[in-house]
Amino acid sequence: MTISLAVPDILVARAKSGDLAALEALYRAFETPVYNLALRVLRAPEDAEDVLQETFLEVVRSIKQYRGEGHLWGWIRQIATSKALMRIRHDRVRETEELHEESAVGAGDVAGAGAMSPGTVPAQIDLERAFERLSETSRAVVWLHDVEGYTHEEIAEQMGKTVSFSKSQLARAHVRLRRMLDEGVSR
Amino acid sequence: MMHCTMDDLLALRAGEGSAWARQHAAGCAACRAELEALYQRVAQLKALPVRRPARDRWPAVRDAVLGERRRRRGRWGVSGLAAAAALAGLLVFRPFWSEPIDAAELARVKQQSATLEQQLQRYDPDGRVTSGRSAALAAVLEDSIAVIDGELAQLGPMRAQARPADLVTLWQQRVDLMEQLVSVHVTRAAYVGL
Repeated sequence: MTISLAVPDILVARAKSGDLAALEALYRAFETPVYNLALRVLRAPEDAEDVLQETFLEVVRSIKQYRGEGHLWGWIRQIATSKALMRIRHDRVRETEELHEESAVGAGDVAGAGAMSPGTVPAQIDLERAFERLSETSRAVVWLHDVEGYTHEEIAEQMGKTVSFSKSQLARAHVRLRRMLDEGVSR
Repeated sequence: MMHCTMDDLLALRAGEGSAWARQHAAGCAACRAELEALYQRVAQLKALPVRRPARDRWPAVRDAVLGERRRRRGRWGVSGLAAAAALAGLLVFRPFWSEPIDAAELARVKQQSATLEQQLQRYDPDGRVTSGRSAALAAVLEDSIAVIDGELAQLGPMRAQARPADLVTLWQQRVDLMEQLVSVHVTRAAYVGL
């Protein structure tokens, strides 16, 4: 992602004082990365927009508690991640879908299992579609770990799960991604 | 032949692979290819196009925030009336010699109020078209400011006896309301590119 996430300290200070114009400027600065994160995890644009809205309501309510330790994006991303994961936890139907998917995918050895030749680069659109076919939990773990750079410890804490859960989710998700890309996503 | 599992490959990628996995991958072309494919997949995930929201959710966030502020002000208004009554009692019955002067704080908060007045004049709120919602919100805030001004005016004849701390409280309340009023006009001006 090549969006500039730097914001001037004075803007943060004004936002902390409750200045609506400054709060809106923060919203404009971070709406895309927040939405993008939520969309990648939740897939449905409406859900991602809801997370965007919930995240910034929380940001406005809590910005006085932001002490300037670390990048502001890190703080906002933490809130966005929490909101997105909360949606997953509350959606039992999707949980069932996830169990179904996991039962069909193991994490066995990979080199002998498929036909992907070395150097094969699947088209990006195929990877995007394959990624969208993962369960929400798997997408969340893959996105947070591989793209956002969260550690397994941080993911486990955010999800209320163990580190080994996060690791096994990531491994299973990659096995499934590899298999879908091998077979062709449309099948 | 036993190959690396995805767990092994992910551990290798993280620099945490077991001795067996490192040794095996070094001598196994298939596992090296799998590891390379894993690197490529992650790089491609990071390069997926950035998606942007179709709808602007800021108005909904702003309305919710303003609603919360109004409710807080409403609660404050009720307690403010009680405080004003208590203040009136104190002004009538308190001994003249009992309170320290805090003139500096009073001067500061008055200056803050004057600055906000000037800021508001720069936006010329009366001379601009505004939305119904903004106009209604501005009217509520202006009414509240008028109430504070009335209280300050009532204290006028007694100002020599009024405690600066009490005056500071009223002026601070006025500043809070003025800040909200300025925000309404500044935000609206920003929206229409003024």
